[in-house]
Amino acid sequence: MTVIDERPAAANGANGHRPPNVAVRDLSQRFGRTRVLDGLDLEIGRGVFGLLGPNGAGKTTLLRTLATVLSPAGGSVRLLGFDPSDAGERRAFRRRLGYLPQSLGYYANFTVFEFVEYFALLKEIPAARVRPAVARAIERVELEERARAKLKTLSGGMLRRVGIAQAIVNEPDLLLLDEPTAGLDPEQRVSFRALLREFGARGTVIVSTHLVEDVGAACTEVGVMDRGRILFRGTPDGLVERGVGFAAGDSPLERGYGAVLAASRS
Amino acid sequence: MGGMHGHSDGAAHVATCADCQARAGLRGLDVDLNRVWIGVAGEVWAREVGWVERTAGRLLRSPGLARALLTTPSLLLSWLLASVAVLAIGVLATHTSGEPWVALLAPGLAGAAIAYAYGPGIDPAFELSRSMVVSDRVVLLARGLAVFALNALLGLAASLVAGQAVGLTWGWLVPMTMVSALGLAGATLARSANTGVAVALAGWAMIVLAGRAETRDLAAAVTPGDLLPLYFVGTALCLVAALYATNGRRSEVTLWR
Amino acid sequence: MDDDALLAAVAAGDDQSLRELFERHAPWVAGRLRRLLAPSAVEDVMQETFVAIWRGARTYQGGGPVGAWIWGIARRQAALWARRHGRADLERSLETMLERPAADDPAAAAANRADLAQALDGLGPEADAQRELVRLVYVEDRPLADVARLLGVPEGTVKSRLFTVRGRLRAALGGGY
Repeated sequence: MTVIDERPAAANGANGHRPPNVAVRDLSQRFGRTRVLDGLDLEIGRGVFGLLGPNGAGKTTLLRTLATVLSPAGGSVRLLGFDPSDAGERRAFRRRLGYLPQSLGYYANFTVFEFVEYFALLKEIPAARVRPAVARAIERVELEERARAKLKTLSGGMLRRVGIAQAIVNEPDLLLLDEPTAGLDPEQRVSFRALLREFGARGTVIVSTHLVEDVGAACTEVGVMDRGRILFRGTPDGLVERGVGFAAGDSPLERGYGAVLAASRS
Repeated sequence: MGGMHGHSDGAAHVATCADCQARAGLRGLDVDLNRVWIGVAGEVWAREVGWVERTAGRLLRSPGLARALLTTPSLLLSWLLASVAVLAIGVLATHTSGEPWVALLAPGLAGAAIAYAYGPGIDPAFELSRSMVVSDRVVLLARGLAVFALNALLGLAASLVAGQAVGLTWGWLVPMTMVSALGLAGATLARSANTGVAVALAGWAMIVLAGRAETRDLAAAVTPGDLLPLYFVGTALCLVAALYATNGRRSEVTLWR
Repeated sequence: MDDDALLAAVAAGDDQSLRELFERHAPWVAGRLRRLLAPSAVEDVMQETFVAIWRGARTYQGGGPVGAWIWGIARRQAALWARRHGRADLERSLETMLERPAADDPAAAAANRADLAQALDGLGPEADAQRELVRLVYVEDRPLADVARLLGVPEGTVKSRLFTVRGRLRAALGGGY
């Protein structure tokens, strides 16, 4: 299986002894008989990594595996230097993890603050720091005016922002976001990209999205997935180059995405 | 603008007044007022924590687990009151008919409560819970034990009030354990609280009816008697099933809506 | 919205109004506290102050400017902080710190003095002894121990006389002191 790997040399670890934040080797996951992930290799360092791919590509399964919601059927995973198959290391890793699932349900009668606080407590943030951390997260997603409102009174976009708030409340070193911008208006998406850049400066952010433009604006690196495999891995500009001469697509990035997919399926 | 006595907004005044300069941000104060506001907001927005939760947090050495425990659906006041009501009816029925209604009802209630304690069938944020430091299995264990203990206590209280024979007062605890385990296994395997309830109640009904068909005596049907080893094995099997159902290898994570 | 309306909203449970009050008043309150306390202590006291405002907004009687009320709370919280940290000296300084600060600029100081003199005149001839006290403590900024020595009375007497004089100044100036 050939992977188009166009990362600049520095990102390949050539410049440092620091291990990458995410190191996946030969990962496979199964759903019944189907191989949802098939011998996947991936290494990601600091920055914002955009994960593109059609439905069923395995993006959500990959994110679930990295979030330690699923354990691998085959292969190995190392996250922030921890081995999640060991219970103690898994706990230590989860303290530094932020995860927003694709569909997050809400406790209707909790307030915004109570919801974020609940998960802050489950992430074992030190007791004295819980309340300020929750307040800070709520301010970052610009929900201060609704901090004491019950979740059942919020719109879909606001609920999504509550989900982002619980993901960032513990200032994670690995932030996994599955379709985070669903329901957000363009202005909110711009604020959100600033948030991504902020977390990408000090740790790894992986954003799974079908909105190609979100990827172009905020991501330092891009990966394209299909049928459980990584087809392309590099910079947004690198993906654009792949799309030169490709007919379908409204933007250079979309053309690149389409070109990579088409090449793998032919 | 209100505020300080006698201060005007005029430039001449501001030029000589430290207070107005501070307010206008002109004094390069080295105090982090943003951090202060975050601290204030945290206190203002938070809900006061009750003494029960605080004590539980200290005993369990985990405020997160304490809160997870206190938000268990089948430990909420409304659920508890409903259970008490059902048992009260059972006590009355026992008084009037002499049949061991409490012993019949208690395990069923416990099974339903256990099924409604945890899992994707009842927790809309279940997938997120599986990525938490306080692991979902620890939460399941704590909730399961608490629910079971509470239901056992309620059942015992009802039994004592109903004034049944000693065997009937305690005997149903064994079937209750088994029925609870059935509820747990059903709920975790099917990822549905309702399935767990159905499995628990159906299982209990079958046991009682089979026992009654054999001995024609309801009292004997609700106590373990010779079937004790079977109950033991059954409970163990259900617990193993629940352990399997909650491990990380199950890739199907259906989301409850 | 003016301060009174904001405070009424806070009393009714509006946390956004508290934020507004904070934006308006926190800078100058922090500025004053900063003259006596280190930055981290100022931050702690400020947080206690505004949480106290949130909890006690209903107790505001409307007798004077909101700013003065806020400063009263801040001063109390600072004194509590001082007591917790065993800083008796600070506690004393805070007790006598006027709502209106001694300005750094001589022109402003003169203006302050003029105001004070005017207020004292308004108190009448029996205020002569108090005038001396006010001059020593507020205009010359002397520590209480010095004032006690100069007047030939115990420190406790100085404190209680100050309390009386402040009460009368407050009445004369309408809430600023």
